[in-house]
Amino acid sequence: MALAETTLPKPTASAASQERRAAWFLTAPALALMVLILLVPVVIAGVLSFTNYSLGNSGFDWVGIKNYDRLFTRSTYEKMFIATFTYVVTVVPISVGLGLGAALLINSLGRFREIYKTIYFLPVMATLLAMAIAWEFMLHPTIGMVNRTLEMGCGTFVESLWPFMAESCAGRFPVWLGDKRYAIWVISFIGIWQGFGFNMVLYLAGLTSVHRELYHAAEMDGAKSAWERFRLVTWPALGPTTVFVVTISCIRAFQVFDTIEAFWPQGGGPNKSTYVMMFAIFEKGVQQNLIGIGSAITMLFLVFVMFLTLIQRWLVERKVHYG
Amino acid sequence: MTRDWWKHLILILGVIVVIAPFYMMVSYSFKSPGEIDRGEGGFFGRQEMMVDERCVKLRDPSRDDIAAAMDRFPGQTDAAIRTALVAEAEADCSMRPVVFNYSKAFTEAPLLRYLLNGVIVTASIFLIQVVVALPAAYALAKLKFWGRETVFGLVLFCLLIPVHAIALPLYIMLTKLGLTNSYAALVVPWTISVFGIFLMRQFFMTVPDDLIDAARMDGMSELAIVWRVMLPTAVPALMAFAIFSVVAHWNDYFWPRIVISGNRDLFTPPLGLREFKGDADGSFFGPMMATATVIVTPLIVAFLIAQKRFIEGITLSGMK
Repeated sequence: MALAETTLPKPTASAASQERRAAWFLTAPALALMVLILLVPVVIAGVLSFTNYSLGNSGFDWVGIKNYDRLFTRSTYEKMFIATFTYVVTVVPISVGLGLGAALLINSLGRFREIYKTIYFLPVMATLLAMAIAWEFMLHPTIGMVNRTLEMGCGTFVESLWPFMAESCAGRFPVWLGDKRYAIWVISFIGIWQGFGFNMVLYLAGLTSVHRELYHAAEMDGAKSAWERFRLVTWPALGPTTVFVVTISCIRAFQVFDTIEAFWPQGGGPNKSTYVMMFAIFEKGVQQNLIGIGSAITMLFLVFVMFLTLIQRWLVERKVHYG
Repeated sequence: MTRDWWKHLILILGVIVVIAPFYMMVSYSFKSPGEIDRGEGGFFGRQEMMVDERCVKLRDPSRDDIAAAMDRFPGQTDAAIRTALVAEAEADCSMRPVVFNYSKAFTEAPLLRYLLNGVIVTASIFLIQVVVALPAAYALAKLKFWGRETVFGLVLFCLLIPVHAIALPLYIMLTKLGLTNSYAALVVPWTISVFGIFLMRQFFMTVPDDLIDAARMDGMSELAIVWRVMLPTAVPALMAFAIFSVVAHWNDYFWPRIVISGNRDLFTPPLGLREFKGDADGSFFGPMMATATVIVTPLIVAFLIAQKRFIEGITLSGMK
């Protein structure tokens, strides 16, 4: 094909048009799939969120903003927002903080770095659903490892130090997953457990790009303590990593589903205290066939996620890194 | 080392918390129900012979069985023969807890089938992703054409849309096409990886133009250049992407949960485990944890063998 083109009178122009045709031929499948699988569904969700459509019905009625109105007035959805934001606001800072802390500690070590890194990364690799079931056994009120371990503290000095222990030893230990006071925190804990190793690895990669000379320069300028060096050199240099880590943690946190579905297949936890958005989409849209309301939640979810990513891109464009 | 002791102390505490559920999962998969209930037996359990009650119940001798066994126990009463038969059944049905747990994991549910489905789905997803993304990435990186900026802009925009978030409209579309409960439903939404396009484009930008020009001189078509020139240079980046993709889809639970209902033949490993949990009563903790161990093990082992590559692959998205 390329050879045939060279025999044509205007080789440059035809080569360009040939290149153009090849380019469209190569991008066409990707382009078609992008539109069909990513863009069309967004439009469909947008349209259906203004209807009372359900699968199996031939038609539907336009209901205006009724679905959105419901989202902001019904107490079920208030619980949904509370659960989602509690989870995100807990998991993101703690998993980023632990990731950074672990990365700094590991980076300052001479030996055993690889072992810690490997172990902390294990939960990232493991099938979350399987680990959720393992955690469920750990948290079993009577035969679970968590309460058994806590029981060992009964009758020791721990009781006097920690009111929770004194109370539990006198009465009984929490039923964790069945208790609306603890459920969302347990879910958050598992989210942190699963995600901080990922953040740690990103920070470790970020740390390798901090120049040694910067530390020397900071020391010359009188930054003697480790904290000063961290504040003046490490933290600013890790700016871009932090922006990225926070955004990706947020997006992942918004999508929490596996643990909640595994623990409470129906209803989203005790008193709906863990009724997060992904679970709501699944329950309303797929299980109860209320497509309209499910689509409205989907649209809201997309707005949150896109907003977060746009903030991230904006921060990156502003070149948060001084390093 | 000595002045670092406090760092090791903190890190080891972290290790205990991180390892605990893995430890428990593997340990329970070794133990008998009694040991799990009472919390005894250390890590491996005592591995005393145990009797599988259900197996014994299944072999509960009927009138015919007793009649058939008459010549083996001549001159005995029916009741005595019955006791002897039950004792035989118990002897046949007793085994080590570890054998019991793992054999139950594979026989109570078609676990092998689930694993095979997992392999089929993750492999098809990755292959199609590469076939679709690589040519597009090459065109966006190396070919000049009108509309290139627009297409790339679209890629950047699509990066904003997590596929899980649009699961509901995708589910509606697949239902309308009659595709739910099929391999297609498990694979189709993941065939386009905008992230893959973005990543490979960034990589192809670094490939020298001379290489491509030389290939054109040799009369290679653009498509041939993608597969015979660009692909070989991209192997490291592609490996990282493969790990990223396989880990995500082997572990995915949300999407299969939506499009597969009831038909066990299509269950992926996490769905199989979920169903196992659904019908399990208390005495099935051991087999369930054995199932969980079997599902988690392939990736963990691969990870331990090729740690560097895995960490690269999973954190790929962070290395723009």
